[in-house]
Amino acid sequence: MNKALLTYLVWPVVKFLIAFVIVQVIVILMTWIERRVLGFMQARLGPNRVGPWGLLQGIADPVKLLLKEDILPSSAEKVAYFLGPMLPIIPAFIVLCAIPYGPPPTFTVTRINVGLLAILALTSTAVYGIILGGWASNNKYSLMGGLRSAAQMVSYEVPFGLSIVGVLMLSGSLDLVQIVRYQEANAWNFLPQIVACFIFLVSMNAENNRTPFDLPEAESELVAGYHTEYSGMKFAFFMLAEYAMMIVNSSLMVSLFFGGWTLGMFGLGLTTEVLRSWGFLGGLLGAVIFLSKVMVFMLIYVWFRATFPRFRFDQLMDLGWKWMIPLALANIVVTAVFVLAGQERLMYWIGLGTIGATLFYLFRPAPKRAAAREKVIHAS
Amino acid sequence: MQVEYSKARWSEKFLVLDLLEGLKTTFRELFKPKVTVRYPEERMEPADRYRGMFRFNYERCIACKLCAVACPIDIIYIDVHDETLEVDGKKKKVKVLDRYDIDVKRCMFCALCEEACPTKPKSIWLTTKTYELATYDRNDLYFNMQELEYWDDRPKYSGLPEPEDSARLEGNEGQKQIGGTVER
Amino acid sequence: MFDVHEMEVNFGPQHPSTHGVLRVLLRIDGERIIDAKPIIGYLHRGTEKLFEHMAYPQCIPHTDRMDYVASATNNLGFVETVEKILGITGQIPKRAQLMRVILSELQRISSHLLWLATHAIDIGAMTPFFYCFREREQILDLFETYCGARLTLNCMRIGGMPDDLPPGWLEDLEAFLVKFDPAVDEYESLLTTNRIWKKRTVGIGVLSPEDAIEWGITGPPLRGSGVEWDLRRAQPYECYPELDFEIPVGRNGDTYDRYLVRMEEMRQCSRILKQCIPLIRQTPEGDIKAKISRVIRPPEGEVYHSIESPKGELGYYIVSDGKTQNAYRCHVRPPSFVNLQALPAMAQGHLVSDLVALIGTIDIVLGEVDR
Repeated sequence: MNKALLTYLVWPVVKFLIAFVIVQVIVILMTWIERRVLGFMQARLGPNRVGPWGLLQGIADPVKLLLKEDILPSSAEKVAYFLGPMLPIIPAFIVLCAIPYGPPPTFTVTRINVGLLAILALTSTAVYGIILGGWASNNKYSLMGGLRSAAQMVSYEVPFGLSIVGVLMLSGSLDLVQIVRYQEANAWNFLPQIVACFIFLVSMNAENNRTPFDLPEAESELVAGYHTEYSGMKFAFFMLAEYAMMIVNSSLMVSLFFGGWTLGMFGLGLTTEVLRSWGFLGGLLGAVIFLSKVMVFMLIYVWFRATFPRFRFDQLMDLGWKWMIPLALANIVVTAVFVLAGQERLMYWIGLGTIGATLFYLFRPAPKRAAAREKVIHAS
Repeated sequence: MQVEYSKARWSEKFLVLDLLEGLKTTFRELFKPKVTVRYPEERMEPADRYRGMFRFNYERCIACKLCAVACPIDIIYIDVHDETLEVDGKKKKVKVLDRYDIDVKRCMFCALCEEACPTKPKSIWLTTKTYELATYDRNDLYFNMQELEYWDDRPKYSGLPEPEDSARLEGNEGQKQIGGTVER
Repeated sequence: MFDVHEMEVNFGPQHPSTHGVLRVLLRIDGERIIDAKPIIGYLHRGTEKLFEHMAYPQCIPHTDRMDYVASATNNLGFVETVEKILGITGQIPKRAQLMRVILSELQRISSHLLWLATHAIDIGAMTPFFYCFREREQILDLFETYCGARLTLNCMRIGGMPDDLPPGWLEDLEAFLVKFDPAVDEYESLLTTNRIWKKRTVGIGVLSPEDAIEWGITGPPLRGSGVEWDLRRAQPYECYPELDFEIPVGRNGDTYDRYLVRMEEMRQCSRILKQCIPLIRQTPEGDIKAKISRVIRPPEGEVYHSIESPKGELGYYIVSDGKTQNAYRCHVRPPSFVNLQALPAMAQGHLVSDLVALIGTIDIVLGEVDR
């Protein structure tokens, strides 16, 4: 067979299919894991009926949704109503091609030298489906959900993109593989870019419409937001897209800030070279490390969902435009200064200091709330 | 007393400690024992005074109708006729109960009938610890005197139909089982 | 291009956060509320009319079903009103009084827990919901052990109480109270200092003290506005004068202050309960009912009596014609109904998301609003 055909078509398609299947499996698992973890955080058990420990819940749900009646509201805009759930799924799965799951070239689907840019461009198109779906349902709540989602996703694209710039400046490349290689040679980027990491975490929650930014589907305000009128498999597609996007964003987080498939810093530990020296199995280990890190961030999504109240629409905008964007810009300036001065190492200490201070204050032994309340009671 | 909380310090403001504290709470809760009772397999034992399904005792009942009077929604139907009995050579007028029906589907389980009952022990009482009263036919919840006394024989609603139950249903034998019309 | 496009939205009666069958007719411009008009009556069952056809003791189970999350206080208000018209208020034995206080304070905690649960989940924090229900379930267990029902208690009688406390009940109560105070701290760790929670509640639905009084608002919304008015202090009933407790008041009258007031009230309830336990141990067992005739036929007259229910001033107005065993007229002053009337004024100019927070903060129960 033609070698070029093999390299540029057959292998990428096979790898993409593998990645696709793995992501599907993660999505199916996540429907169970999310509800199970959420349940455990809320003093209850979560789904435990279908199969051992409820493990088959992820299969039972799609089966139920497949068997459900597919309702088309009589006054819905038919074409747009059908397109709504389809549109967000396409970019979510295309983006899977651009993510390096393990040491290249075996464990990358395609290596694009502007991979990050491609991912950002593609993911931002996901909002169209939500707007279309919300509008086409001809339901006032859906419309409001769609509008909220449009405003939210467009505004959070900006800090989402800006927070990455610092990383780009440090590693000097838009290629995700290069960024990971930079991190294993130096420190993982969450240390020098702690602010960017925080902004990225916030905006990836906002991008995915997850709590505390789940305004488009805020069930206590808008019933179910943009998917109020959707049922059956169309609804499942929205959910599938949401979870696929969660996986994509977690992968980005891992690749950009947490060392991708490696478990090493400063050239020590499980770096790409070490993994490569173990051949294919080493690469597989890298992919497993990558997926475990992704799962950690998926769990952080769940953790946030269990903890936080929901923002209000205007506050969300305030946060995005008045805090996140200026903060991201400031971060860029500061990073630029450090990079110009050649003092990247100093930024590690800043990151370490911030994390240390946070942990110190968080785990201080003094029960401060009780003390504060006592003081107030005695004062009155 | 003025409710007030101390203002957030700079450390709380900049290190998002307030949010992290919530995260700490939910994380700690992850490892605490869960309170779920997995109902059809595990059941909670009702308290001794739990007001559940009625039980009626024909022997003790003196047909005084006090329970029917006390009932706020008048769902106790009592018919009585007088009979003259010869006890030890004396003629004695006795009230005989013809009908003692309770329309349980309308009942709100306030237990005022039990409280009004003058016999000791009570001839109508609710402390049977039975709460699984769901049926597939609303007429199944109209209980007459005999059913009130011997409802143990009625098919109990068990969360999910047992395999052999459904087999019997298919064989059309389990008329008194779940579903179907019940001959009275 | 810049003209206002108003949209009318029916918020309810089937909506996740209207706490029942409240329907709010919203006129919104974008997301900003121009006008909010609550439409009530979907749960009207004619309770007041029913009372005219029932003997007084038979009314008690029906009072359960007005504010169905706080039935003990509903019972308390009704039996006290009938006792007042009978003129036997002073004859209630000490033990019965203490039991009434314990039950109604437990009910206050349970009602506030339900309020916090739903309020938090309306604002988007879903976890406090389950924590609150965990504790509320223990209170309901206590109710079940006492009177045999968990929600519609029917746990008070005219002239006293139906039953004495079962053995071991006070110990269970003590065990619950030990666990309860840290639990309140746990809820607070999720919400009180949380900046998102503060953003959603501080400055939302501000009621000035004057406005609150003019609207006739009572209970925690009134105290949140800074008016120290609690019927347990202002018009003491049962044995509240002997108990030591604080009345928490807010300062700004916003949703956050009302939240703080209710949280503190839960702590104060726990404090009251802790004082009641040794007191009730001193009273003789079984002395729970005043001597009254079985047939209750009050003299001709009318009486209004109100108590502090978890949601505010719960008043009963009973007219007796002196001849029959049932009231000639019975009117209920439900706190939720009166508090709800301030909703349009509070919602004006806020966003749709805030309406949800406002409905939560008023703490309405539609069974009580519509009766």
